[in-house]
Amino acid sequence: MTAAKKVIAIEGLVKRFGSFTALDGVDLDVHRGEVHGFLGPNGAGKSTTIRVLLGLLRADGGHVALLGADPWKDVIALHRRLAYVPGDVSLWPGLSGGQAIDLLGNLRGGLDRRRRDRLIERFELDPTKRGRQYSKGNRQKVAIVAALASDAELLILDEPTSGLDPLMEAVFQDEIAAVKDEGRTVLLSSHILTEVEALADRVSIIRQGRISQTGTLAELRAQTRVTVSAWLAHPPADLATLPVLLDPHLDSHGRLTATVEPDQVNAAMAALVPHEMSQLTVSPASLEDLFLRNYTAHHDGTDSQRAS
Amino acid sequence: MGRHTAASSRLGRSTGIFTGTRTLLTVALHQDRTKIAPWVGLISVLSATSILAYRWIFPELADRKTLAMAIGTNPAMQLVFGPPRDLLTNDGFNAWRAGALGAFFAGLMAIIIVVRNTRADEDSGRAELIASGVITREARLLVAVLMATVAAVALAVVCFMLTWVSGGEARPTAVLSLTFAASALMYAGVAAVAAQLGSDARTASSIAIAILGVSYVARGYLDSTGAEEWTRWLTPLGWLEQTYPATQNTLWPLIPAVLLAIGLVALALVLQRRRDFGLGLIPARPGPATAPGLRLGGLAVQVHRGSVITWMIGLAFLGLVYGNLVTSVGDVFASNPAMGAIIASGAATPEGLSFGFVATVLHLVGIVTAIMGAQILMRVYAEETDDRVEPVLATATSRPAYLGSNVLIAVASTALGMLAAGTVMGVVAATSDAGIAFGDVVRQAIVTIPAVWVLVGVSVATVGAEPSRRIAGWLVIVATFGITLLGPTFKLPDWMLGISPLYHVPNVQAASPAWVSLAGLGAVACVLYAVGFTGFRRRDIH
Repeated sequence: MTAAKKVIAIEGLVKRFGSFTALDGVDLDVHRGEVHGFLGPNGAGKSTTIRVLLGLLRADGGHVALLGADPWKDVIALHRRLAYVPGDVSLWPGLSGGQAIDLLGNLRGGLDRRRRDRLIERFELDPTKRGRQYSKGNRQKVAIVAALASDAELLILDEPTSGLDPLMEAVFQDEIAAVKDEGRTVLLSSHILTEVEALADRVSIIRQGRISQTGTLAELRAQTRVTVSAWLAHPPADLATLPVLLDPHLDSHGRLTATVEPDQVNAAMAALVPHEMSQLTVSPASLEDLFLRNYTAHHDGTDSQRAS
Repeated sequence: MGRHTAASSRLGRSTGIFTGTRTLLTVALHQDRTKIAPWVGLISVLSATSILAYRWIFPELADRKTLAMAIGTNPAMQLVFGPPRDLLTNDGFNAWRAGALGAFFAGLMAIIIVVRNTRADEDSGRAELIASGVITREARLLVAVLMATVAAVALAVVCFMLTWVSGGEARPTAVLSLTFAASALMYAGVAAVAAQLGSDARTASSIAIAILGVSYVARGYLDSTGAEEWTRWLTPLGWLEQTYPATQNTLWPLIPAVLLAIGLVALALVLQRRRDFGLGLIPARPGPATAPGLRLGGLAVQVHRGSVITWMIGLAFLGLVYGNLVTSVGDVFASNPAMGAIIASGAATPEGLSFGFVATVLHLVGIVTAIMGAQILMRVYAEETDDRVEPVLATATSRPAYLGSNVLIAVASTALGMLAAGTVMGVVAATSDAGIAFGDVVRQAIVTIPAVWVLVGVSVATVGAEPSRRIAGWLVIVATFGITLLGPTFKLPDWMLGISPLYHVPNVQAASPAWVSLAGLGAVACVLYAVGFTGFRRRDIH
């Protein structure tokens, strides 16, 4: 991957607040034209990373390149090329939503008025309400419209859809898909897994100030165990005789559930055949499994999540 | 129904409208006590200092008679302070100087307490958390009113103790302190109603403060025009005057005041039942749908406009009051060298004395103006903690430009404020025969501006570079106030007086004004602003 294709290139980023280390060596690459899902539990360092990218926080260590420049030094030039949606939008009490959209657009160097009006309509936003009268979801819409109405080549979205209803969530996904079709790049931090699944080309998962996994969804799935479930006519007396099955569980009706390393599916089937399987399901890890596995503290191979 | 009752009694001892009130009151008082204490302290000090100052400045009966004459013939003084009933005694002077002002500030205190604990909490969403607890719909409003009541009682007690210890007579001091408490109760009631009307905290406090302002000005107008006695009953603040502290000491006019407070709270409770949570009975007006020309400067104006306009009106009013003070007190000085020494040491002629007083008064105006400037900078930090700076700095807006747009407002409005107060003061002073020229007053106001910029500079430096130290912005103003007002009285050495930037303001009537000190003040201001801007570029934004 050449540097020119990297819109965001972070290496070993460290950020401390007093004695607390918020970011402890983050590595993150976002390629041009992709929607990059940025996931992690609360307090893992997503917003801190984004604030470093925006030049709001100064890095204590590591290298950060945004569009090939330094986000701390080249603030103005970079910010002309990006748009940002915070996760918790706070609007000016005296300004209407329409005024806030125009203000942010003007400060970025102008916005596309036709696109702005179209987005206001699509998101069913009343632009004449004053800041404090908007609900959480509507404040979020104001920031989304302001960001999408720009022609910025990079969108940095920090939990942009928190508080949006499912209908608006669909509109949002539609608009981000359009942004992607135009070849623009999106860094999307989110807790809504279906949103990430629908939009993201690649995903990075951050935990306790470090990136724990990164790759396409298919790549991440390939690293995650497959769930196997079947009825056994002749269940084994001791499950330990089937070492290929991990975390196996057998209920009193002979129903077996277990997980299997992705490259051991065939071996597992072979091992189970003598026990006469019926109603067999073999499912790849769901996104939820993927994230739960990464979010939990016991990420050491014992896979405690599967016990449930 | 039976199950419901059983559940209710399991949840709380009482199911009346007071359920949850006590718990909430304890928590809220704990939260707010540091915000209430300064009000109680300042109003009490206002009363105690008049007792202390009176004996010191007007020791002889002759001085007191001069004072009574000067004030008795000056309608503008009555507009602000109310009618002087007896300026020949200590307590009579206190009742005049602290009475109307103290009642005003007590009312303001109550309004701020009630609105903060009702509307402002609804705006922030905190009230929703509280309302979902085991608590009646009425409890939050009752708690706000009870907090104002606690503050009113505390004010009465502290003010009485402090004034009495300072040498006030027990009975007049008690009556005066009780009028303050009564004012707090009445305007707590007004604020409770206003909180139901307005759609947000700002609207609610605007309504309540406007009502307080109108009652105050109406009282002032009636007092200064010598209207008939019954007309004083037209404004609640006039009722308080009917207690005649230090002359008749009648308490019964406080009864209608308390009844009004109770009536207003009852009305507020009824109104609250009719409105939706988070909304007011007066719907908010919609704003413009677009703002194609709105940029950084427009944003700064938008953010600060309301408070700056209010300050400008206040400063012009201050100019009016002080202008009258200058003209009417000129005579008092002539016959009271002690007062002259405090106010303007070194002046030889009555005119010189009066102008020295002008300069000192402009120092006080400068301090008040600096408060406005500091407040503008503190607002910048509040914007940051409210997450409204982050989206702006995420656009192609540089940090110096953002801070600069706000500092520009602070610098310009402090200069304008000094000019407004100076112009009004000059007009008033020049129309009298005190021998003070309009131009001199305005020029003196202008040369005071750099010192104000230095005071504001401390706020720029701290908010810009190290917001956790921003209290220094206030401390420097308090310290300057102390040095300016009390320094000469305590005969502090020059180097100590020199800590105050106002000490370096030249007197434009002097034979050779010390212009060079203006350059010095300018240099100090520049350093402070440079620290603020440099720091703001380097620090983390939250």
